[in-house]
Amino acid sequence: MYEENNIEPEFMKRPRSNPFRTPDHYFDTIEDRIMGAIEHEAKKKTTSATGKIFQLLKPVLGLAASFAVIYLLAYYPIKYFSPKSMVKSETTNISSPETLDAYTFNVSLIDENSLVSTIFSDETDTLSEIKPDELLAFLSTEMTDLEIYTEIQN
Amino acid sequence: MTDDQKILDSLKDPSTRELAFRHLISKYKERLYWHIRKMVMNHDDADDVLQNTLIKIWNGIDSFRAESSLFTWFYRIATNESITFLNQRKKRMMPGLNDVNEYLLENLESDTYFDGDEWQLTLQKAIATLPDKQRLVFNMKYFDEIKYEDMSEILETSVGALKASYHHAVKKVEEYVKSHDSRIDL
Repeated sequence: MYEENNIEPEFMKRPRSNPFRTPDHYFDTIEDRIMGAIEHEAKKKTTSATGKIFQLLKPVLGLAASFAVIYLLAYYPIKYFSPKSMVKSETTNISSPETLDAYTFNVSLIDENSLVSTIFSDETDTLSEIKPDELLAFLSTEMTDLEIYTEIQN
Repeated sequence: MTDDQKILDSLKDPSTRELAFRHLISKYKERLYWHIRKMVMNHDDADDVLQNTLIKIWNGIDSFRAESSLFTWFYRIATNESITFLNQRKKRMMPGLNDVNEYLLENLESDTYFDGDEWQLTLQKAIATLPDKQRLVFNMKYFDEIKYEDMSEILETSVGALKASYHHAVKKVEEYVKSHDSRIDL
């Protein structure tokens, strides 16, 4: 516009020199500095990629480590010092598969009818030994439990 | 085959990639540096932005499609990096400043690598007060004498809009120079 209209301000007619300068030999080392910076940048990218993965997993790893510590601190004392486990340690271990098999094997051999007759056979015999007269005499006597006990003892 | 095309071909080969990129840097480093320096004004900042620009070029060179020239693409990256850098700096280091222009003025005054005389300092201060786009257009036209057509490709802006930006920029610079330094004989 200014050129076309020929109304250029006065300052435009002054010589246009560059007032800025650079440190001595500044341009001589640019290539090396830039290539060094590019290399550094590439390394930083690789490190930050690994770092990012670690940063992402950090909370999970922290949580897992906490659980592991809690487990070690709580589980073993409970396991070895609780009364239940102390009783367990003083009794025979029957939880082994061989022992369990043996038990189940023996139980399976017992017939149900023979089991019932075995349980009630003794009872029947005991009752049959008591004579009706003795039973009536026992029931007719008005004795206290203590008197009955002392009589039996004598 | 142009020199840039040869470099691009060498960049595709992993065995010659680094060497080709070194060649690319050595070919364009000064032009890119001065473009950035005029935008950020301070040498240390220009050095940071140049490094970011070249790393970005290295990372994106495989995706470069030869729709524009290699240098146009570089220029565009350098421009974007400069503007992003200035905005970030302003937010991080100068929360009290109202805008990028104040940061630039402080940057200019603290720069030990400024050799200009009083007139040049005033001119640079005037440029520092311009909005980003106008500052960019003014620098490219006034100092680098880039054609509007090429500028249009780099900045992805129409020639008409660029001419308008330059017109406003020149007007503002002129006003600033007149009002801030009456001792300067225009």
